[in-house]
Amino acid sequence: MATPHSNPSSHRRILNWRIRHWPEPLRLTSLGFGRFFYGQGPEPGPITLTSKRVYILPTRMGLSYALLLLILLLSAINYNNNLTYALTFLLTSIGFLTMLHSYRNLLHLQINIGNPAAVFCGEYAQVPIRLENRLQPSSDAISLQIPGQPAVTVRIVELQPLQTVIPMHTTQRGLHAIPRVRISSVFPLGLFRVWAHAEQLRYQLVYPAPDPHAARPQQTSYQATLSGDRGRGADDFAGLRSYHPGDSLRHIHWKAVARSEALYTKEFGGDRCEELWLNWDQLPQLDNEARLSRLTRWVLDAHRTQLRYGLRLPGTCLKLASGAEHQQRCLKALALFDQQPNDPMP
Amino acid sequence: MKTLRQRLHNTTTANLWLLAGLLVALLPHLLRIPLIISAAASVLLGWRLGYELHYLRLPPRLWRWLLALLAAIIIYSSFHSLVGRQAGVALLVLMLGLKLLEMNGPRDFSVTCYLGFFLISTVFLFTQSILTGLFMLLATTLLLTALVAQYRGTEYHDTQHISESMNLRKAALIVAQALPLTVLLFVLFPRIPGPLWQLPNDRSGAKTGISDSMSPGMISQLSNDNSVAFRVRFASEPPPPAQLYWRGPVLTVFDGRTWFNPDHKKPWSKVSTRSRYQALNAAISYTVTLEPHQQRWLFALDLPAMLPADSILSPDYEIIARHNVEQLRRYDMQSYPYYALAQTEAPPERPYLQLPTGVGPQARVLARAMLAQAGSKAAMVKRVLQYFRQQPFYYTRQPPLLLGDPIDEFLFNSRRGYCEHYAASFVFLMRAAGIPARVVTGYRGGEMNPLSDYFIVRQSDAHAWTEVWLAGKGWLRVDPTTVIPVSRIENQLDRLRIAPDGISNVSLSWAHQAWRQLGFNWDLVNRAWNQWIINYNNRRQQDFLQKIMARFGFADIDWQTMILTMLLSLFAILAGYAWWLLRRSEMKHRKDPVQRYYTNYCHKLDRSGLARQVAEGAWDFAQRAQQRFPEHSKAIVEIAGLYNRLRYAPWPRKEDVHRLQKAVRCFPNRIKYPQALQE
Repeated sequence: MATPHSNPSSHRRILNWRIRHWPEPLRLTSLGFGRFFYGQGPEPGPITLTSKRVYILPTRMGLSYALLLLILLLSAINYNNNLTYALTFLLTSIGFLTMLHSYRNLLHLQINIGNPAAVFCGEYAQVPIRLENRLQPSSDAISLQIPGQPAVTVRIVELQPLQTVIPMHTTQRGLHAIPRVRISSVFPLGLFRVWAHAEQLRYQLVYPAPDPHAARPQQTSYQATLSGDRGRGADDFAGLRSYHPGDSLRHIHWKAVARSEALYTKEFGGDRCEELWLNWDQLPQLDNEARLSRLTRWVLDAHRTQLRYGLRLPGTCLKLASGAEHQQRCLKALALFDQQPNDPMP
Repeated sequence: MKTLRQRLHNTTTANLWLLAGLLVALLPHLLRIPLIISAAASVLLGWRLGYELHYLRLPPRLWRWLLALLAAIIIYSSFHSLVGRQAGVALLVLMLGLKLLEMNGPRDFSVTCYLGFFLISTVFLFTQSILTGLFMLLATTLLLTALVAQYRGTEYHDTQHISESMNLRKAALIVAQALPLTVLLFVLFPRIPGPLWQLPNDRSGAKTGISDSMSPGMISQLSNDNSVAFRVRFASEPPPPAQLYWRGPVLTVFDGRTWFNPDHKKPWSKVSTRSRYQALNAAISYTVTLEPHQQRWLFALDLPAMLPADSILSPDYEIIARHNVEQLRRYDMQSYPYYALAQTEAPPERPYLQLPTGVGPQARVLARAMLAQAGSKAAMVKRVLQYFRQQPFYYTRQPPLLLGDPIDEFLFNSRRGYCEHYAASFVFLMRAAGIPARVVTGYRGGEMNPLSDYFIVRQSDAHAWTEVWLAGKGWLRVDPTTVIPVSRIENQLDRLRIAPDGISNVSLSWAHQAWRQLGFNWDLVNRAWNQWIINYNNRRQQDFLQKIMARFGFADIDWQTMILTMLLSLFAILAGYAWWLLRRSEMKHRKDPVQRYYTNYCHKLDRSGLARQVAEGAWDFAQRAQQRFPEHSKAIVEIAGLYNRLRYAPWPRKEDVHRLQKAVRCFPNRIKYPQALQE
């Protein structure tokens, strides 16, 4: 398992960024406190929270509780009041037991983080996470949180795996390792906080945010070829071809089916088929990120209007095509533009 | 308009649990503190409840400040102070109520709960009875439930059903698990004697029991308070009932309405300790466990031969403690039931002959006539007692109010009264005849608990009698009430109590007998509670632990050992809990006894060197086991058969589970290999 210090691979980027700016004595990772503060580092398989990785400390209210116990004890001694003694000891014992109950709340919990769907920059990524506890009756009020992000509170009941998503706000396009997830709880009395970290090799693809001011691309090209309009659309009947699985049922030439045994699909030509090149060089006046943002908008618009479009980026060229898959390819190219080539791909 | 059910559905249940817990913790206080403060606390609690049910809104910040100011004013005007026990509790109650009006968020919630726990501890300053203890345990559990409900939360992203009984069960479970630890800490935590700092002298505590003044005729009804005043255990044979006079405050001055003692107003150290007494025979020893009565009297049989710690003997032979008895107090005593005072004692110069002017003119005439008739002062005492016996004087618990002259009205007109009337008029007649006399109040008699070996003296045993001083004899006890013939005592129970040496012809109904029997049982429980819980102090702890240590062969135990023992056993118990709570055990096995027994059996075979293969059926495994251990073949077949039947039969039978359990239990833990097979 890679410690953050010895092998600063890309998935540790966020973590290392944080540590890099600390003066050397404060880099607690070098003192062996790394696991305490930053977790184990990413792990391949499902993570089981063993006693080695569940931490517990009193909360601020827990310290107040200790103060209450001290006051009660002083009152009991001073008034020589045995029922106050009894109350003090009962609450003390409850404090001790709560420590065990809190700890047990997280112990043996099994966690598996999934790969979230791609989102546009600025949106909340939904990181799927699966929790299960086969060794404890229930785990209550478990808070799941990527540090700095909103928390989700869940309850895991005996033998029932729980599938949920935790939000992560995205601020940068690209492919990001999902940071460690903090699993914590103050159940049952709020006296102790137990926590553990889970980090797995999971990635979030973040597309650039589409530019809200969507100026049209400067030019669309209309290309009529010698063989006629080869653009496909829904308006003009262009001919028949043999059926491919996946063709719309509406376009099947039913009369031909009735006549013979073969299936034919009717092909239609668009009355005007636009082909569009979305070109990096079209936007010289913008900086890189703004260009990517604008291009993202264009890709979305082009997809919506069912154009055939291609994307030209420095060093990359995606040929004219259409469809959801093409769109994703384009968006991914935009997301990963100018990122380090050694970025791991999911 | 929403229904209550809808309103309840939309509310935060944690807050309702909190309100319930606080209400239970407040109840004992609400009945004790001044009405206006109880009312204010109820209003504040009700306000929050109204808010929780969406009827009311919480007041804005300015209003809350004004309310806090108002609360302080109310408390100051009620107690003329903001500190001290009574005022402090009132302040806590109202501040807690105000806290409810601004409580928002989990931190506030926890703080309010902690204040609730503190409130519970203040209840114990006033009463430590069993019922209070149980009631406060309920309050503690409710407050813990509130905390559990708060930290379990309700805002889950998916709608999982959280029932309220789950929260209550969780809290009750934690309390139940905490009890053994509590007992351990309670027994072993070293008790430090004495207060850490001087307690403010609290004069406003509600006094109970005997008061230090007496106004016969002012109160027309004797209270029928059956609560325990104190319990007594005699070291040897108890004295006869006629000798059981428990001496309390002595009243010397009569102002025409009220008997009192001006010395009682003096501070503790100013009471003169000039008193001499001599005893004739051996002292009897006993132990008194006095219930708190918020006064300074300690009760002892006539006449006390020793003094408990922190107390003095007044010239009137009253035992006066340094502080008010605010907690159960246990003291060893010795008394001389048969005493005679020194013959050399000079006639008392103190105001034992004082009489208010203008009161009881007829009585004075009567006294002078009687003295002339009797001749001597000793004969005069007998003459007056005879007067009470022969004239139609009645003993009743409901005497008429004496509107006119209280002495003459009683002696010549109403002639109906209880001990106070007789003692007062007797002392009046004595003083009018020139015989020094005084009223002694306290308790008379007591009831032996037939289930044990101690006397119960109740508030209803309160009594007033007199002492007269005769030259050459000193102070003599005279109880004028006892001369009333039994036929003139109205109440059956009073006949039993007052008549000298008991009367056998008083019969009680069976229901009354049964009730008394129940009362004795309950008193036994109370006494044990007092002895082992309330009065478990430094000395008793030492005694108890030494007794236990002696059993294990240890000679002595000092406080270092005590703390060490406490910490070690604490960690041992906690380690036990940790093992139990944090162990890995498959949930499905815990829930499924059949699987558990079968797994147990597989472990046994595993230890013997035969491991079950993954996905090996019970029969296949049994066949292998049979080959390996032919001598256990019968048990192996039985277990496999039972397991298969319980698992796969369409109607598994319940008794098979027990047979499986038994068969597995009987199966050897580890089978020794036969020598031949091993080679």
